[in-house]
Amino acid sequence: MSTVLQSLSAELADAVQSAGRAVVAIHARRRIPATGVHWRPGAVVATNHTISRDENITVTLSDGITVPASLAGRDPSTDLAVLKLAGQSLPTASLRADTPPRVGELVIALGRPGPSVTASWGVMSRVDGPWRTWQGAEIDSLLRLDLAIYDGFSGGPLIDGGGRVLGINTSALARGVPVTIPVATVERVVTELLERGTIRRAYLGIGTQPVRVPKSLGRKLELTLDTALLIVSVEPGGPADRDGLLLGDVLLELDGAAVSDSADVLAKLGGDRVGRPLTARVIRGGQVKTLQVTPGERPQSQAA
Amino acid sequence: MTTPVAGGLAQELAATVDELRRMTVQVRTGGAASGAGVLWSAGGSENGGLIITNAHVVRGNQATIELSDGTAVRARVVAHDRKRDLAALDFEPVAAAVRGSPRLRVGELVIAIGHPGGLVGVATLGIIHAVESEGEGRAPRWIRADMRLAPGFSGGPLADTTGRLVGVNTMMQGGLALAVPAAAVEAWVRRAHALAAP
Repeated sequence: MSTVLQSLSAELADAVQSAGRAVVAIHARRRIPATGVHWRPGAVVATNHTISRDENITVTLSDGITVPASLAGRDPSTDLAVLKLAGQSLPTASLRADTPPRVGELVIALGRPGPSVTASWGVMSRVDGPWRTWQGAEIDSLLRLDLAIYDGFSGGPLIDGGGRVLGINTSALARGVPVTIPVATVERVVTELLERGTIRRAYLGIGTQPVRVPKSLGRKLELTLDTALLIVSVEPGGPADRDGLLLGDVLLELDGAAVSDSADVLAKLGGDRVGRPLTARVIRGGQVKTLQVTPGERPQSQAA
Repeated sequence: MTTPVAGGLAQELAATVDELRRMTVQVRTGGAASGAGVLWSAGGSENGGLIITNAHVVRGNQATIELSDGTAVRARVVAHDRKRDLAALDFEPVAAAVRGSPRLRVGELVIAIGHPGGLVGVATLGIIHAVESEGEGRAPRWIRADMRLAPGFSGGPLADTTGRLVGVNTMMQGGLALAVPAAAVEAWVRRAHALAAP
């Protein structure tokens, strides 16, 4: 009869079944458990916002067995966390890292907010280039979904029709809009969290506010941009303070790139910048001044 | 201008014809010209229905019957009398084919039919969202499907891709469509019959 429809149905159920083996339930908050994915042998990826405690964490595997897990580290800026399991023979997720998803592609979001796996389906609604979360982390590509969010969505995998994982879903990075953190970003974060337990991010210890540079001053100093960043706070003893940036300085450029938004500053403060000097051009007392500032490592739970 | 008698006659005739149309069926055999038949008994949930027609209308030993509401059913000749030129055909009761097995799988496609907002026979497609684990051998209370159903879908069928009934659509909860599993419906019908029996 309708063999195409039946085989599509069977393939979707097969995809859920095979990918579901690597999907686990995580008990690390009150009420409903959260979802996680067995990403590498012994390492489970979850979303940071669904793990509300650091200890007494247990994980229910796809075969129904519940085992203890330890928190290897969290990264609030990408909303990812990694848990370690001891001695499990659970299969790991099969990742699709080679071909990015396409807009309109049929995708399934899996969850395990309890003993059984759950699924919702939809299509990729947007596939775009790199973007930055509000906490400054760079995500390799923007993956937006047209599908319904249910309990257990965050921390669950987005899979394709063949059951291969395209990334980790979260509803906490874009004001409740479902997005998927792509495989490449998850890989990077998992590696770093397993190695050091935190994600290194550089910081300067300044607070800024965009300001318009007066036309006359701009002409006098031969500036090309009309917006810059007024430094409105300097953390005492922080990297910027130590290297001589002052309250009231107007930051024009950092590492040769014009800055007109705090995101432009964050873009220059990746983990690899810790301890490596940056050139800063500022307006101070009506003159352009060039300074060297060396970012420090940002302490945990600190914004700029 | 019609007289009161003639007007009343026309109305009564129309009403009687409507009544008769409901018990008149089309009998078709192998694409040949079709004849008429009488729906002798419509059949219940277990017994099939019976159709009477002329023997010369049915050539072989089976026919397709189209009931007055347009439903087509396969019928089998059970009695045949050339002298009286009569044939009797019985047909399977028109009923949902219920899926007993295999078990539903998460991700499997399902189809719901209903009449939302007065639109008749609307179909929507979704997938099975969750299958309750068979804890202590207890049958699952609900089928949860990832599909959006409007109020007019209540009471209608949820079926798999082969058209077999898997549940009766009941409500939306937390963005999910909830249906009473077909097995639970069957068990309930059996209990209800047992209670109704004297």
